Amino acid sequence: MAEALGVELVDMKGSGCCGTTYMESIDHKTGLAMAARNICIAEEMGLDIVTLCNGCFEVLTKVNKILKEEKKLRDEVNGVLIELNREFKGTVEVKHFVKMLVEDVGIDKIEGLIKRSFKGLKVAVHPGCHLLRPSDIMEFDDPEVPIFFDSLINVTGAQSVNYPNKLECCAAALLAVREELASKIALEKVATVKKYADIMVTSCPFCYLQYETSQITASESYDVSVIHLPQLLGLALGLNYEELALYENRIDTSKIKEFL
Amino acid sequence: MQKEAPKIFKVDPKFKHELLKITGAEKIMLCFQCGTCTADCPVALRVNEFRPRQIVEDARLGLKETLFSGDTLWLCTGCYTCYERCPQDVKVTDMIAALRTLAVKEGYIHPSFRMLIDSMAKNGYIYEITDFENELRADMGLPAAPKVNLDEVSKIMKKTGLNKLTGITMEEG
Ligand code: SF4
Ligand code: SF4
Repeated sequence: MAEALGVELVDMKGSGCCGTTYMESIDHKTGLAMAARNICIAEEMGLDIVTLCNGCFEVLTKVNKILKEEKKLRDEVNGVLIELNREFKGTVEVKHFVKMLVEDVGIDKIEGLIKRSFKGLKVAVHPGCHLLRPSDIMEFDDPEVPIFFDSLINVTGAQSVNYPNKLECCAAALLAVREELASKIALEKVATVKKYADIMVTSCPFCYLQYETSQITASESYDVSVIHLPQLLGLALGLNYEELALYENRIDTSKIKEFL
Repeated sequence: MQKEAPKIFKVDPKFKHELLKITGAEKIMLCFQCGTCTADCPVALRVNEFRPRQIVEDARLGLKETLFSGDTLWLCTGCYTCYERCPQDVKVTDMIAALRTLAVKEGYIHPSFRMLIDSMAKNGYIYEITDFENELRADMGLPAAPKVNLDEVSKIMKKTGLNKLTGITMEEG
């Protein structure tokens, strides 16, 4: 899908998980250093980072910003990274895939490349938390009335609808702590979406998994198809069902198939 | 009717000073207990024992036992709704993360968090990427996910003392 838009994605050799918000809740300095290690790899490549996950986006953006702005913390973290012969310099940006589409590719350009219309399809977007919040760190879109993700849906001809609690968390982060609660929070949103839209579209793979898995393991059936944004955009850009691995989605995708 | 004995709480006036030093918890003294954080919290909406406003107050009073026992502190999803809407800019989400780091220092770590950090030390990922995932990637014509430099992960954990702090075992690089 990135290729269709003229974007080349390059793997970051040796990179790994930043430990997400779990790590910074255990030990702040380790959290900073783990994320900084990944940023250093991108700095050495001379490329900005693009993440597909809201969690990575939040942690990497926050650490990048803190270490660029606060010399004392930067020195402390570089004191750890020196063991790896690495140094945080503060030369790259961190972007979410959605942010890259909006700021670097441009919604107008994407609109011009649309080959397949989804006119008539009602979509409930789930922006997830960290695409927007904390807004003083993420500095992307309005945290209470966001529009960019919705615009990316609307260019496909589909309609992004408003629904109650649209900005609520998927609670996937609670799965390991209290699974029934995490599923309950997710399913309440799924039930709302069912009333307002044909499908749900996510911008983060963790939210995607959460909405799909919670439905599959629930005793009642909801049958709300969850589609990941690059899949829907990819179809609109003319890619096919197989190329976008839609056969991997575990809830019936017939609402999408009608348009192919 | 028999009167219930009043509950006795052990306050620790020094605790807040410890907390105030941690990044993200600097503004807890500004909280005026309006309750916006609790009202907008997706967890508080469904779980009675989880009250972010109460957590701020307990932290200022130094009710360590109340805060550290049970899994209250670990129920926050980190959604940042409270942080976004607090009229006093208290940064509640970051304060809860700061409280967790203090709990860990005193030996309280939620078992699920220990498991995730353990996986991080062993695989370089919170959720391991196995051959199964890489085979799926191959089926789709994608290269295998980049291999984590575990030696670097382990060096960071040793240097910051995370291994001693949490008692996790490291893979020897
Ligand atoms: S919203 Fe802010 S000021 Fe109000 S109770 Fe919560 S932390 Fe305190
Ligand atoms: S960040 Fe935590 S405490 Fe704040 S609203 Fe979200 S779940 Fe509740």
